[in-house]
Amino acid sequence: MSTFLISSLDNIDQVAKDFINTYNQPGVFCFYGSMGAGKTTFVQALCEQLKVVDVVNSPSFAIVNEYNTDKDDKVYHFDFYRLKEEEEAFDLGYEDYFYSDSYCFVEWPEKISSLLPAKRYDVTVTVLEDMTRQINVVSQVLK
Amino acid sequence: MSVYILGIESSCDDTSAAVFKDETILSNRVANQEVHKDYGGVVPELASRAHQQNIIPVVDKAIKDAGITAADINAVAYTRGPGLMGSLLVGTSFAKGFSLANNIPMIDVNHLHAHVLAHFIKEQNEETEHPEFPFLCLLVSGGNSQIVLVKSHLDMEVVGQTIDDAAGEAFDKCAKVMGLPYPGGPLIDKLAKEGNPEAFTFSKPRIKGYDYSFSGLKTSFLYFLRDQLKENPDFIEENKKDLCASLQKTIIDILLDKLQLAAKDLKINQVALAGGVSANSGLRIGLENLAIHKKWKTFIPKFAYTTDNAAMVAVSGYYKYRLSQFVEHDAAPFSRVVF
Repeated sequence: MSTFLISSLDNIDQVAKDFINTYNQPGVFCFYGSMGAGKTTFVQALCEQLKVVDVVNSPSFAIVNEYNTDKDDKVYHFDFYRLKEEEEAFDLGYEDYFYSDSYCFVEWPEKISSLLPAKRYDVTVTVLEDMTRQINVVSQVLK
Repeated sequence: MSVYILGIESSCDDTSAAVFKDETILSNRVANQEVHKDYGGVVPELASRAHQQNIIPVVDKAIKDAGITAADINAVAYTRGPGLMGSLLVGTSFAKGFSLANNIPMIDVNHLHAHVLAHFIKEQNEETEHPEFPFLCLLVSGGNSQIVLVKSHLDMEVVGQTIDDAAGEAFDKCAKVMGLPYPGGPLIDKLAKEGNPEAFTFSKPRIKGYDYSFSGLKTSFLYFLRDQLKENPDFIEENKKDLCASLQKTIIDILLDKLQLAAKDLKINQVALAGGVSANSGLRIGLENLAIHKKWKTFIPKFAYTTDNAAMVAVSGYYKYRLSQFVEHDAAPFSRVVF
């Protein structure tokens, strides 16, 4: 497990840089944390490190946002909050995204828990009392 | 000579079909329980499977409502993107089949352009006033918050957009924080009417240019309530109307401040609203008041044309038809947001 601490927005870019340096291969990253914890904000910072050229905004309504990097690689950004049933993920063709060998950042993965790939990273965002965001990453690859 | 256009919309949750005679609407159907009544079915819960089951009945109804037959239709216009791939594929595949079967051209429509062009839908036997070019369109919905500079029917440019949450999302998520049911936007609007908009002050984002940000408001609202609830567990219940009014005022101020700035810089005095959030009464009143002050001419479409619908797709298709802007059958749908 690795842990990152974001004390304020001032060091979010540095943390995102460290994160991408640590996890420098595409994969499925599942972000757990309550509303307002900063999941989308951290994904935005990660996308910036990956040199995404599109505007990275909340996929809460669209469920999945697709971005291009400056090298025309794809980055997928999900928010499954709005899903009522896991089956709805079949409709949007989640396998095509998850097994596409692109970075996939998934918010509210608990909504599709049984469909998550065995090989993934579980990222938990916790707000500490002083508003510092603690980010714990557990690799499900090595288990 | 008049042309008949069939419009198909299936980018997200709703399946819809519309028939137009030139710019005039003949029919516009959005799939609901009623559409299925004649077929003995029910509306399925899952989005793209729902589209698959809705599309034939909805198109059939739209054509019948228009009083024509499929053979009368000159072209089929469909939403190519952005949207959910599974949902878009249903509309796209149907349009291709319809185009081949009837040997008519196919027209691809950008969903976001269609929201703006909803302002040009003409009603039968009704005079409707349309904006003149160039005008600014504030497109606000659950998934979008954009200021669009509209130079012609087919030439438009996004001058500002949200860098995180959409305005509709800010309403829905703050409603959730207060324990209101989803979607919370309409409920906040209702409660806000009885509350004091000056009761609480929430900080506004400082974002450059004409871009929007609503994520910070959501977070500050969340932590403000958390702190208040520590002192008084009944804080939300006791202040619900004032919270709604103050929150709504903040969101509307954020929207209108940037709109005002863009209109001033670009020297535009015609301003239009589009998207589902344009149903918000506070936003409508706020815009009207600002318009009086700024001497703007404002345009707000009928509610049925602000949410996802095929009428806006059909009218967009008409403008492309006039210029013979057709698309080949190998055109693939796209989910990425491109304006």
